Amino acid sequence: MRMNETEKELVAMVLSGRNDAFEPLVTPYRQPLLALAYRLTRDFEDAKEIAQEALLRAFKYLGRYDTSWSFRNWLFQIAANAARDRARTKGREAAALAHAGRELPQSPDPSSDRRSREFQSDLDKCLSVLGPREKEVFILRDIEELDIKETARALACSSVSVRVNLSSARRKIRDAIRDKYPHLEERQ
Amino acid sequence: MSCRKAKKAIPLLAGGDLAPRNERKVRAHIDICPSCRQELEEYRFALGRAKASAREEKPGDWSESEWKALMTRITVEKGEKGNTVLGLRARWALASGMAAVIILAITVLFVKDTAFGPQETSSVPGSDVVSVTMVSQESGLQVVWFFNKNFEWKGDKN
Repeated sequence: MRMNETEKELVAMVLSGRNDAFEPLVTPYRQPLLALAYRLTRDFEDAKEIAQEALLRAFKYLGRYDTSWSFRNWLFQIAANAARDRARTKGREAAALAHAGRELPQSPDPSSDRRSREFQSDLDKCLSVLGPREKEVFILRDIEELDIKETARALACSSVSVRVNLSSARRKIRDAIRDKYPHLEERQ
Repeated sequence: MSCRKAKKAIPLLAGGDLAPRNERKVRAHIDICPSCRQELEEYRFALGRAKASAREEKPGDWSESEWKALMTRITVEKGEKGNTVLGLRARWALASGMAAVIILAITVLFVKDTAFGPQETSSVPGSDVVSVTMVSQESGLQVVWFFNKNFEWKGDKN
């Protein structure tokens, strides 16, 4: 998927100093970007912050954008990187708290956790069995429908690596659906 | 093709991600193997469920005011960053320029000392005039300075 002419013009306008052209450039991707961030994190507040960070970075580094590539995929690449950065930061924070002998903050209302588990989406259940890389690959290829090359480019890895992770992710999801969540099969 | 090989390829086949040549081989096996065919169906079903679930999911959106505030923040931040970057570039250019001038000055002093250093000092006993000749090793240029006995400069000759 390549960039269309209007997008090219908007990119050129932003790069020439017309900052107001940025909003019409990214508005079509507002929802998809947020949805991707949500799928990667499964937390709406985190997703909002990641999507914001992605938009900030897109604006800052627009000069480096290769117009032969899809603008949407470029945004997705930035969002995937931002999500990874955030996960790393959260991991470090959790490790620091654990090291200090403190527990992570718990939800104030345990019943709300129970409720959220009850209403956990099927996708949540599928994604919960995947490793971080498998999840990124699966979401970009199977949910966002980038092709293998685009996925590899977005994740800065090889097509072979994408295929290996994708194969493993699909196997885990198939197993999860077959073994752990038989109600999904019943809906067929 | 063996079932073991086919089962390795089935996850990719289910999503249409096999190279055409491999796909033909795996499909040929699946046509004659009910077990692998069943497995392919399971993968397709699982993928279909995950995709349908993603479509059903409504992850929410920014409110209009949040979105406008975000766009404003981004454009303002870019302006500030742009200025900062410009300032950094200007400071970097200034520092580089100054460094270049200092290096040039040191080089000139060094070259002058080595290439144009005094080659010969002649003094004639009893004479009122002392001359100092400096010869460039590179260009052969000679500069002769004349001093009186009190080392007051009297003139030069190239």
